[in-house]
Amino acid sequence: MKHASLRAALNTALSVAVIGVLVYALLPNYWVFLITAVFIVGIALQSLGLVAGRTGMISLCQMSFAGVGAWVTGYLNVSGFPGGLPVWIVIGGLAAVPVGIAIGLPALRLRGINLAIVTLGFAAAFDTVLATITFPGQTTFTQVPRPMFFESDRGFFIFVVLVYGVIAVGLEFLNRSRLGASWLAVRHSERAAANAISVPRAKLSAFAISAFIAGISGGLLAGYLGTLVSENFNMMQSLSLFAVATMVGAHFTLGAILGGVLITLFPELLRRLNLPQDVGAVFFALGAVQALSTGETISETWARLGRKLMPKRKSGAARVAGPLPPPAQHAGGTALEVKGLSVRYGNVVALKNTSLVVPARTVVGLIGPNGAGKSTMVDAIAGFLPRYEGSVLLDGQAVDALSATRRAQIGIRRTWQTTRIAPELRVGEYVRLAAGNISDEELNAVLQWLDCPTPEALIATVDAGTRRLLDVAGVVAARPPVILLDEPAAGQSYAEALKLGERIAEIPQKFGSAVLLIEHDMDLVRRACSSITVLDFGQVIATGDPQTVLALPVVQKAYMGIEVEEAAA
Amino acid sequence: MNSFFTPAVAGLSAGGAYAILGVCAIFTYRLVAVVNFTGAAIGATGTFVMVALYEHGAPVLPGAIAGILAGALTALIIGLVMTTWFAGANASTKAAVTAALLVGIVAVGLRLTGGQHPHAFPDLVPGSAFRLAGVEVTNAAVLTVVLAVVFTVLAELFLARTRTGLQLRALSERPMAAELIGIRVRLLALGVWAVMGAVTSFALMIIAPLRSPDFMSLSLLVVPALAAALIGAFRSFRAALLGGLMIGIVEGLVSGLDAFSQYRSTVPFLVILAVLLWSQRGARWDEAR
Repeated sequence: MKHASLRAALNTALSVAVIGVLVYALLPNYWVFLITAVFIVGIALQSLGLVAGRTGMISLCQMSFAGVGAWVTGYLNVSGFPGGLPVWIVIGGLAAVPVGIAIGLPALRLRGINLAIVTLGFAAAFDTVLATITFPGQTTFTQVPRPMFFESDRGFFIFVVLVYGVIAVGLEFLNRSRLGASWLAVRHSERAAANAISVPRAKLSAFAISAFIAGISGGLLAGYLGTLVSENFNMMQSLSLFAVATMVGAHFTLGAILGGVLITLFPELLRRLNLPQDVGAVFFALGAVQALSTGETISETWARLGRKLMPKRKSGAARVAGPLPPPAQHAGGTALEVKGLSVRYGNVVALKNTSLVVPARTVVGLIGPNGAGKSTMVDAIAGFLPRYEGSVLLDGQAVDALSATRRAQIGIRRTWQTTRIAPELRVGEYVRLAAGNISDEELNAVLQWLDCPTPEALIATVDAGTRRLLDVAGVVAARPPVILLDEPAAGQSYAEALKLGERIAEIPQKFGSAVLLIEHDMDLVRRACSSITVLDFGQVIATGDPQTVLALPVVQKAYMGIEVEEAAA
Repeated sequence: MNSFFTPAVAGLSAGGAYAILGVCAIFTYRLVAVVNFTGAAIGATGTFVMVALYEHGAPVLPGAIAGILAGALTALIIGLVMTTWFAGANASTKAAVTAALLVGIVAVGLRLTGGQHPHAFPDLVPGSAFRLAGVEVTNAAVLTVVLAVVFTVLAELFLARTRTGLQLRALSERPMAAELIGIRVRLLALGVWAVMGAVTSFALMIIAPLRSPDFMSLSLLVVPALAAALIGAFRSFRAALLGGLMIGIVEGLVSGLDAFSQYRSTVPFLVILAVLLWSQRGARWDEAR
């Protein structure tokens, strides 16, 4: 894990350095000056890639964040603040952070489209404000000086490439951290992400860091051009940046550089061909639409083709999986209790006064025909329903007032009927996202216990059945007091399902958790559960030990569709 | 009293236009499930077609009709893109597509209209209708407000009472299911786009002489339009109508205050911020299970 992020960071640093050295050594001053802009735009693109590409939120005001950074840089210059450009751009970036958070706040619970609207509104409002207050020093033509040793155009190029490299390497580490994994998880499914992490924190951190980076790019632009006008940061710039980021995949280091090349050098090319330069925007718009329709950015296309051409690397050394650590010690007695739970969807009564007890360190089965209310019960227990009557108690404490994320944190964890793991994650990253920062030995032990792939395997390369096992691996590795498994064996072969049943039966002893298991596979249920509750039409019709309950005529009728007479005959 | 009243009435025609654009935004969202960032740009296209014809000596009325048709055609082309490649895409992707298209349309529009180059905008409805407490209420203001109300009522009736409206509602909720029960999904969707383009074009023609009439400023009227649509939670036409009028009037009031007049364009943003913060009191989750 640590090695993987170090290697990725080193790769990034090296490729940026190589590009920088080649440009510096081979190209004349004019081109070096032009390519400086490529990297400045590249930094702005990376900031956008973080919110849009990674976290899946549409931001149409990235250049406004850059404008905040540039304005503050200009202000610090005019007011004679000590430290010069390197200090000013950092302060400018920090000044953009509260703005980013303020814009991100309305999107905490609402999804993408609203964010697109609020960011476009901000870009429009910022345009007006900036045109009115103007840049500090704009009217007196006060230049923003470049830092010492980097005054010349070639020198400033080195400065910009250094800043680009630092940001790219920093992002590489961030992306492979738990925070970075949480961004991908939020983009893929907020519902599933809420089960492991705080969605608002993931979104706000993405916005804050993105605004910071954008602010820095604005400060660099101030040093690059010397004086700025509000048009440098107007709404069209933000929209073009969005189109290009969508087209190239700005959340990849090289994608951001490619985008910078397009934005900076494409107009130059058009100029030399005697074509109007705004044709570029049309090209970007079409490119973005094309990328959206195929669902693949230019960076991803190249990476895919690259993987095809490159010889397959040998998979890493054999895993060193130690024994599983001792189980967590949770309180005894009743782990989870559901009292008088009723749920209505409009006029439909999904659950009617249902009660259920899961004792600590046991596996309880919840079965019933389709539409009986099993998954509704799991939704209610895990806190995903806006309202229900009755009460859910964890270790005797009512949790009804708590959010889904809070319930997950204090120890009610669940899996989903369909897997919701972000395909861009690696197996190890996902389990750590779900379970917190566990050690390599423990990670390997849990994965081996469930016959899962190695931590380095990409989720996109793992089949659907195995992804369901990873869901289970994630929740058991977190060792919560209560685990809710929603049809974990769906998509598994019969033999795999039986094996999974054995594993589920072992969960209380190996991890210390109590399990509520929803399942249709009766052999698995018999193998795993110490008691069973049967639901039919939203009501509990039987509770008890598996053999007795499954033999009850009322259960057979409800569940197997066998009429009592037929069964008797 | 009058010092407040005059600017408020001055904001009325803008408010009427915002209301029409906002209702159009909800219309597109409810019927073809697209949050459309190109709405005002489509209207701007129609408006500038009319202006070009007018500048070349064409009379106002045929020019206006040609402009409305051009707006409908532009919307139809965007509708074709959306229905051909993004029929099954999620709402967020579709919004991203229209945002990207906005870049292209504005770039082309600015090139063809010569950027900030001033144009002769004909007053479609010149003169003032009546005086209200000593303030002139222009025909343009009356017309936009009436048009906004009429369009709101028509949209509501169309959706609630007609068979086509019912089919369109089915189309926006589950396009695939609608197609499977024999609804001509594509044709209906394209029809919605064309109507939206025509109405937006007409609305923008009326208020264009009152704005800084370059292609980009007109395209950016999508911001107050979406603010109005948000007030209606992308569902209620009436709320969007009132919201649009309110934004226009508040903008008028703000421009009446000397200290703030330059900042009047921040009003829609503040409205968006307030509405969104208010509307996310309860948790919402993506689709179940």
